[in-house]
Amino acid sequence: MNKKRIIISYSVLGILLLVLVIMNILMGSSSMTAGDAFRILFSHDNASKFGRIVWDIRMPRIIAAALLGGALAVSGFLLQTFFANPIAGPYILGISSGAKLVVACAMVFALTHGLLLHSLVMITAAFVGSLAVTAVILFISGRVRSMSVLIVCGVMVGYICSAVTEFLITFADDSNIVNLHNWSMGSFSAVSWDNIKVITPVVAAAVLMSFLLSKPMNAFQMGERYALSVGVNLKAFRLSLITLSSILSATVTAFAGPVSFVGIAVPHLIRSVTDTSRPIVMIPQCFLGGSVFCLLCDLLARNLFAPTEMSISSMTAVFGAPVVIAMLIGRKSGR
Amino acid sequence: MINKAVNREPVIKTENLDSGYGKKVIVAGAEIKVKPGEIVSLIGPNGAGKSTLLRTIAGQLEPIAGSVYIDGKERHGYASAEIARKQAVMLTERPPAERMSCMEVISLGRYPYTGRLGILSQDDRRIVQEAMELVHVSELAGSSYDQISDGQKQRVLLARAVCQEPEIMILDEPTAYLDIKHKLEFLDLLRDLTGKRGIAVIMSMHEPELAHLVSDRVICVSADGRVEMTGTPDEVFRDEIISRLYGLDDGRLRDLYTGFVRSLEGSAGC
Repeated sequence: MNKKRIIISYSVLGILLLVLVIMNILMGSSSMTAGDAFRILFSHDNASKFGRIVWDIRMPRIIAAALLGGALAVSGFLLQTFFANPIAGPYILGISSGAKLVVACAMVFALTHGLLLHSLVMITAAFVGSLAVTAVILFISGRVRSMSVLIVCGVMVGYICSAVTEFLITFADDSNIVNLHNWSMGSFSAVSWDNIKVITPVVAAAVLMSFLLSKPMNAFQMGERYALSVGVNLKAFRLSLITLSSILSATVTAFAGPVSFVGIAVPHLIRSVTDTSRPIVMIPQCFLGGSVFCLLCDLLARNLFAPTEMSISSMTAVFGAPVVIAMLIGRKSGR
Repeated sequence: MINKAVNREPVIKTENLDSGYGKKVIVAGAEIKVKPGEIVSLIGPNGAGKSTLLRTIAGQLEPIAGSVYIDGKERHGYASAEIARKQAVMLTERPPAERMSCMEVISLGRYPYTGRLGILSQDDRRIVQEAMELVHVSELAGSSYDQISDGQKQRVLLARAVCQEPEIMILDEPTAYLDIKHKLEFLDLLRDLTGKRGIAVIMSMHEPELAHLVSDRVICVSADGRVEMTGTPDEVFRDEIISRLYGLDDGRLRDLYTGFVRSLEGSAGC
């Protein structure tokens, strides 16, 4: 383990996080100067036009992108550890799509009955969907040894769930379609302060608990039998890993819809930079990396074709998918 | 080494042990004793169930019938963390260990001793260093585990087992991937270890001639899953016993290992 590389990685990620937060505050369909922003942030002005933009629109969105991006990267890392494969992730295995389907059902039901869904209900719905797809994936992984077959199956399950979701949305009440459609494409725009109040403790608790699993995760990277031989309780460990990973990706899907590739690309980039796969290093770094990655993608999604906004998932795919392809090629050449 | 072990109580003992998968018994009625500082080898044809027996002794499979005693106490009476301080294993399967240095792989042997987050103390670090010196892998500390040779990997895994500070080591075909030079080197190391640390070793071996070389006692597991014979190498390594164990035609073994068998019979005679 190279201490110097890890310190450098922490510093770079810290600086990028700061820079991206500032850029996300300043930039948007109505730009403001650094002076304006500084005044608004420290005077807690939420009455003026810029004040409202910063406090009501941009800040919750920045916090959402940072927390949910981090959650997604950690969720991916947990799944990769579970399957002992760096290509595993909540999006590619169809877990995000499963969550999306159940949340869409809940939303359509609530909208047609004129109910308002509490954040926790949304997370629970997403969690149920994640677990259902995870169960299917685990069932398949018990039957096929090949990881690539498993991934293809995950993609297929994902397509099925997305198709059913599309179907639901098409037949939903006209007035709600726009809202639902935006969410199902993936966006941080709909996250409110009330949502943040729920997201923050859920993500913080799940990431902290993942961090506390660093030690058995490390042993598990030697294979399950070695893990067993040094005293890891495999059943409890596996169950916690899957539960935590599902909670994290479910929280993301509940509020931002499906967000692609972050769960694979970020852990891979972090591994390449730090040259280690030790969970005690990877989990905090993946969280920071996921935050930075999603803040960057959200900045671009908002500003690239302003005032038209792009879906977050198309941005993360543009940056994330090439990383994944590079990783696959790198592995093929036997490095 | 052998003399030192004679008066001690066996640290591994099995009583009428049936091992296998589910309800299917693969090795029946095994009675095995291993004392501190002893090396006991399991030999026998492929599929006889040597690995199954070892996995049951190691606690990775539940016994179908009978019991395994570790230090005089039944194995399932121990907590998993407790047993991990007494017993280390080396398996045939290769650990994936991606992006791990040899030092990190070896340090994982300290798992049962470290705290909540698995951070090594000064003592842990010293023990890891000592294990690396003992097994001659100090120079590999910084190398990536997935980039070293097979012989080096086995030594690294042995160092990992050593720094677990076990009383017992259970090795499943530890020499399988190695060429003859590295096989001999590995077995020398093992002999050295049991002598210095009084570790009890039970392992499976594919090569009868090497089992003869290194073992204090040899256990023959027959193709139909019985412990056919237990004895000192000189008692077990007789043409008719080995031929019957591996199902060889009369004389084949003699043809194969002419020199080996002749020297055996010579030494048995005097």
